[in-house]
Amino acid sequence: MAEVGQQHPIKVYFLVWLLLFVFSAASYMVDILEFQGHLRWLLIIIFMLLKAGFIVAVFMHMKWERPTLITAILVPPLVLIVLMYLLAYEADYAWASRIVYFGDEVAPIPAPPPTHAGVAH
Amino acid sequence: MATAEIPYQETVPLHHPKTWIGKYVFSQDHKVIAVQYGITAMAVGLVALLLSDLMRIQIAFPDWSWMDWFVEDYYYQAITMHGMIMVIYLLTAFLLGAFGNFTVPLMCGARDMVFPFVNMLSYWVYLLSVIILLLGYIPGLGGPTGAGWTLYPPQTITEGTPGADWGITTMLASLAVFIVAFTMGGLNYITTILQARTRGMSLMRLPLTVWGIFVATFLGLLAFPALFVSAIMMILDLKIGTSFFMPAIVSLGQTLAYDGGQPLLFQHLFWFFGHPEVYIVALPAFGVVSDLISVHARKNIFGYRLMVWALVFIGILSFIVWAHHMFVAGMHPYFGFFFATTTLIIAVPTAIKVYNWILTLWKANIKLTVPMLYALSFVLTFIMGGITGLFLGNVIIDIPLSDTYFVVAHFHMVMGVSPILAIFGGIYHWYPKLTGRMLNDTLGKWHFWITFLGTYVIYFPMHYLGFIGVPRRYYENFDSSFYPASAEFLNEIITITALIVGVAQILYIVNLVHSYFYGKSAGDNPWGANSLEWCTPETPPGHGNWGEKLPTVHRWAYDYSVPGSEKDFIPQTVPQERTS
Amino acid sequence: MAEAAQTDQGPLTTIVDDWSSDVTTFKAVPWGKAMMWIFLLSDTFIFTSFLVSYMAVRMTQTDAWPEPSAVFSLEAFGVPVPLLLIAIMTFILITSSGTMAMAVNMGYRKRKVAVFWLMLATALLGLSFVGMQAFEWTKLITGEGVKAWQNPMGAPQFGSFFFMITGFHGLHVSAGVAYLGIIAWRVLRGKYDNTNFEIVEITGLYWHFVDLVWVFIFAFFYLW
Repeated sequence: MAEVGQQHPIKVYFLVWLLLFVFSAASYMVDILEFQGHLRWLLIIIFMLLKAGFIVAVFMHMKWERPTLITAILVPPLVLIVLMYLLAYEADYAWASRIVYFGDEVAPIPAPPPTHAGVAH
Repeated sequence: MATAEIPYQETVPLHHPKTWIGKYVFSQDHKVIAVQYGITAMAVGLVALLLSDLMRIQIAFPDWSWMDWFVEDYYYQAITMHGMIMVIYLLTAFLLGAFGNFTVPLMCGARDMVFPFVNMLSYWVYLLSVIILLLGYIPGLGGPTGAGWTLYPPQTITEGTPGADWGITTMLASLAVFIVAFTMGGLNYITTILQARTRGMSLMRLPLTVWGIFVATFLGLLAFPALFVSAIMMILDLKIGTSFFMPAIVSLGQTLAYDGGQPLLFQHLFWFFGHPEVYIVALPAFGVVSDLISVHARKNIFGYRLMVWALVFIGILSFIVWAHHMFVAGMHPYFGFFFATTTLIIAVPTAIKVYNWILTLWKANIKLTVPMLYALSFVLTFIMGGITGLFLGNVIIDIPLSDTYFVVAHFHMVMGVSPILAIFGGIYHWYPKLTGRMLNDTLGKWHFWITFLGTYVIYFPMHYLGFIGVPRRYYENFDSSFYPASAEFLNEIITITALIVGVAQILYIVNLVHSYFYGKSAGDNPWGANSLEWCTPETPPGHGNWGEKLPTVHRWAYDYSVPGSEKDFIPQTVPQERTS
Repeated sequence: MAEAAQTDQGPLTTIVDDWSSDVTTFKAVPWGKAMMWIFLLSDTFIFTSFLVSYMAVRMTQTDAWPEPSAVFSLEAFGVPVPLLLIAIMTFILITSSGTMAMAVNMGYRKRKVAVFWLMLATALLGLSFVGMQAFEWTKLITGEGVKAWQNPMGAPQFGSFFFMITGFHGLHVSAGVAYLGIIAWRVLRGKYDNTNFEIVEITGLYWHFVDLVWVFIFAFFYLW
């Protein structure tokens, strides 16, 4: 069983390996270069999804599976997007309620970095 | 359907145990595991039944002096344990653990589950979870938790709630262990159904029982993680003082060390599990009832494909309706509209199922056997509970009815009693295959009528109590002057009936035990049913189920009363040509 | 069954055909592999529930949330480099995924000894990952005073979620190391000689999943 399609040239693995390094380094650079706001999020999520995609597609062999298995595994997690979206939507409301009703102070953003340039030491 | 594929299980030998312990205690045979699951679930279910009767006595007759020992704390602990045991440790465990284990390999034409050892482990871990749960009752440690089965923080783990320390710990630990057990079993059921069917057994030839169990197990595997995560987070809140769910709070005059947690998050996670959980217990019951109705009405199930798609559709929808349990929780005000809409959409596939059951019965050759009586009563009860669900799904009606006996009546009808009736029906139906003997018919009918009529006498008046505003979970209700005398009277009727129904279960247990030794011999196929489990070479089926060769399936499981055939049923193993 | 994994027809037709066929739905997929995939699906829901909880609590937080890139910086040559250790850990985990993928490949070529050494390398890389995590935890607890229940830099949930999520992931890595070790040993002993070494692929699936989860933790916890 499953002999065909599992023997690909090792080149593919090295390529993906390399790509994963590159994407990790790129998302690391997003932080180092201190991109902020929407651009930061866009880049982080793009690199994250690219990495996840390559791991699933090549390392986990999803690319060579039949579409039956692919859809059976990849479709169900979509319900989690509903959960995530709704909780994010509600979180803004809860946050605003805390500010309005509990008189919480709005936190300073970003927090003072504790260890930068050895401040804490 | 010609096929070239050789079932993998035909190429691997089963491991046959030699010792008695290997055969009956640490058994890897799915039928033995099913019985173990069933007996454990029923035993712990009896505990929950006893607790409910104690609660009912307290509610209706608070003045009885011999009940003085049953103080407020005990009452709340009884409520919590009753709910949790019934939902998780009885219904989920019985429908998936017992029915799932028994029917899935037999109905798919498999020799056993794909990984029998993991399956065996599943049962023993489940038993461990039950033991941990009951450890909550160890005297001197404060007893089990009394937070209500939904375990909402912050009250669950703040002082003043019974069992806020030891009780909630055992409860959460037990749930986590149960989820591990369920995952081991559930992976087996799914893989068996998908990968280990026999020749000719396509998914659209599976009996609806297997379909119900399949979809329910899938829901379980995807929904239990949310409960698992919230259990871990709550244990951490309790034991090491994190503030996942705990906001800054003043309890008993003291400011607690918690700060900034989000209590609503627990409710979201809990119901993200909790609503699929409702269908985890309902869908197998749907499946079992569909099969019972078809077999005992001697007619094919109406709209088989639609029944399957309705199951799948209900399963998908169940993940996007969860917050209809939270209409009064103070969540985002816009959510009410979204969740009310999705909730009401579920009525469509559910109604399709109910219509199809009724259309199956239309002009059928109905045999009022005990399993059939239970199946019919399931349909009635489910319609009743389902329609009140439409009321509660609307925000505007739900808000005044929240936390009243109307809600209690609704969920007991729709997901308490209905699955229990389906379970009883299934037991009366498959007992002959399991043991080779019939259950006693007279005892069975007595048991049925008392249970079924009792159900209505108990839960029907609760709707009225809810309408006049009697709140649920109150230790003493009727010392207030604004309840009419009729309400008090109804309450007493409910309690007396509950006691009678509780005692009547003795009939059932006597029947199970007595028939095992002295029941009428059943033969291979007493009901004249088509599905594969009735085609085993021996009754009860031996280890490996099918003897030398796996059966080959040629048709769906519902060829009853086919015109022109000599008998009124054609088993799935009969080739197509012979009848046409 | 040679054509099992590759079909000429369109994907939709294949899906419909497979779901309506008898015996197996996932063609040419061994039982263990099907079960592992479904388990990973379930595990996905566990990790997503953790991450979504983290999101919900962090977004409702009115206390200050420490900036992770500063908290997790490490001194290198006298300059604090943000997220240095995390970067190393990420690279180690990716590398271990690579060796694991090679092991699977060697498995299908039935080169037992290569499989053994590659799996052992994977396990060792996993072990070093856990070791670095232990170092990171120690630094955070003793150096910064962050505990699961308190955080001198702001919201206590920062520590709570950090320890819970990375701890749960670390538990998965540790379990994976043990799993890899056992399977590698059994491969070398010749326990799977009569099979197609699917077991290596199944182990690999689990290991890649652990790597996959780290990708999400890295993005959402360290870079947010």
